[in-house]
Amino acid sequence: MKVQVKAFATFREVMDSQFDLDFLQGATIRTLLEDLIERYDGVGELMFASPGTLRDFVNILKNGRNIHFLGGLDTPLDDGDVIALFPPVAGG
Amino acid sequence: MDGYAGNIVYADLSLGKVTIKPTPPDLKKQFIGGRGFGIRLLTDMVDPKIDPMSEKNVLVYASGPLTGTGIPLGSRYEVSTISPLTGAAMSANSGGVFGWKMKKAGFDAVVLSGKAKKPVYLFLDNGKAELRNAAHLWGKTTGQTTDAIMEELNDKSVRVSCIGPAGEKLVLFACIINEKTRAAGRGGVGAVMGSKNLKAIAARGDLPIKAADEAQLDLVKERVRKKIEDNGIEKALHNYGTAVLINIINENYVLPTRNFQTAHFANAENVSGETIAKTILKKPKGCYACIVQCGRVHEFDGETGEGPEYEPDWAFGPDCGIDDLKAVARANNICNEYGLDAISAPATIACLMEMAEKGYVKHPIRFGDAKGMLKLVEQIAKREDIGNELAEGSFRFATKYGHPEFSMSSKKQELPAYDPRGIQGYGLATATSVRGGDHVYGYMISPEVLGAPEKLDPYVTKGKPQWVKTFQDLTAAIDASGMCLFTSFALGAEDYADLLTATTGMKIDTAGLLKIGERIWNLQKLYNIKRGFGRKDDTLPARLLNEPLKEGAPKGQVWRRDEMLDEYYTLRGWDREGTPTQEKRKDLGLA
Repeated sequence: MKVQVKAFATFREVMDSQFDLDFLQGATIRTLLEDLIERYDGVGELMFASPGTLRDFVNILKNGRNIHFLGGLDTPLDDGDVIALFPPVAGG
Repeated sequence: MDGYAGNIVYADLSLGKVTIKPTPPDLKKQFIGGRGFGIRLLTDMVDPKIDPMSEKNVLVYASGPLTGTGIPLGSRYEVSTISPLTGAAMSANSGGVFGWKMKKAGFDAVVLSGKAKKPVYLFLDNGKAELRNAAHLWGKTTGQTTDAIMEELNDKSVRVSCIGPAGEKLVLFACIINEKTRAAGRGGVGAVMGSKNLKAIAARGDLPIKAADEAQLDLVKERVRKKIEDNGIEKALHNYGTAVLINIINENYVLPTRNFQTAHFANAENVSGETIAKTILKKPKGCYACIVQCGRVHEFDGETGEGPEYEPDWAFGPDCGIDDLKAVARANNICNEYGLDAISAPATIACLMEMAEKGYVKHPIRFGDAKGMLKLVEQIAKREDIGNELAEGSFRFATKYGHPEFSMSSKKQELPAYDPRGIQGYGLATATSVRGGDHVYGYMISPEVLGAPEKLDPYVTKGKPQWVKTFQDLTAAIDASGMCLFTSFALGAEDYADLLTATTGMKIDTAGLLKIGERIWNLQKLYNIKRGFGRKDDTLPARLLNEPLKEGAPKGQVWRRDEMLDEYYTLRGWDREGTPTQEKRKDLGLA
């Protein structure tokens, strides 16, 4: 299945801003992040405080919904998903 | 008590008389400073029945005890008045350097009453204050005014807070600008200043500002500095400015687009913080004592300026269906030069765009027309042609043409850059804001979208009334202290309490801090009730309650007021109409 990945702000300093990835059925957000860590240097450090624990205020959206309110890192991926990756950001 | 300059200057503009009095100790204890001082002094002095544009209105400038004490991000001052846009007692907050200079000149607050016969400006100079002729400044932009005053005083250390032509023309959402680009933006504080024939306040001074316990303050300062430096959110503000929000709000499908008709803008990337950083950004810039530096100095096509910040970026951009970043930046610069609120001006234009497209107003403007938008900004500032009608704000404009439902406002003030249909608690905070359509009197976007201090589900209403109350009270206290609200991404209530205790010598704990904030909130509320506000006003435009979002994750949702409002009133100790009970008033010392 095909998933679109969009990276924002400082994440763009270590990976492309928009690209597609192919996954097998059963893949999750965790699978996707592991894939990114292999592809791009620096992703793991920017995204994770420790293995399996995202840094504070990192937000990951699946089709506009924060994965925190879905299944966290175990949120399943579906064909055609748009996954948006945000480092800590703010404004007002 | 320390951390204060020690005096308040009262300028009666009708009499041309200036009086200086010591800052009352009880005012410090009950209201800290800043917004607290402003709201207390204003509501004490002004009969609630007055017309905000009459000479009976009062304008209060006030810094806080943490302003200018070298605490990171301690730079703010507040301007409080009865808003001509909303009719409510309100305050607008600004940063830059002016708040610090006002204190160095010897004043915690400046209270301006009456109306000068001819244009004047007030000069605060090392403990003295005098009114000076400003006839030669009338008609000048904020940049020209600032340069002219610095030149005639022959001193580059002078800092100037002034109005532009929009304030002189009494545009209902005219703002006050200091150092050419920092705005006390909302509610029409600049129109009140213009109605008083007051062009500017200039401040010069080098008087000391002492803390009660310098050694303790140094310790707390270091703790606070480290928390801010280590906080990922504060780093993002430095790297990308506030407009970094454009993409995350858009990807959440809550970025109001084309006057809130939808909540997703396909070309948002073109006006995003990331695009600003790689195109027009020259360098970041900060206010006094700022270690974050979220300000953006830009340069393009021979034009220099600052911003756009997230709000005007959204309002001139997606809300007007425009993805031309240079046009957005140019529009923002016009607002700074003429002294216009860069939320209400573009949001009013967006209202016209929708009404014109749907045939309710005969005008050639359409969504996406950047050139037409730029022309309208100038017309509003000068009250020319249709600009004269738009200068009354979107609510009065849309009502005049028989369709108030196209005004995306609350209490007649234009809403900021988030769609409440997909962020329920934010909707409650905005609807109950005592100054009308607003996002900085209780920034629920932080927990509901950004995940700080913790992630709250934005689609859920349960538990939100308590969060909203706490955020509103804490924000009122931060606004009173003189600290920048952006510190709240990294700091907790205990940090502000410790900073205030070390600076002022008053023993303030977390509960005491929140109580002071609650007192300020309730005083504003009680006064606004006397001005006719009630439950009916604690709401949002019908579109947001009745028309479901059309796309993305929050598709199908509306803002659910009825699930939250009664609980919010109960938590606040208010009756069903939203009136503070006698018991609550007594508890807060407002009986």
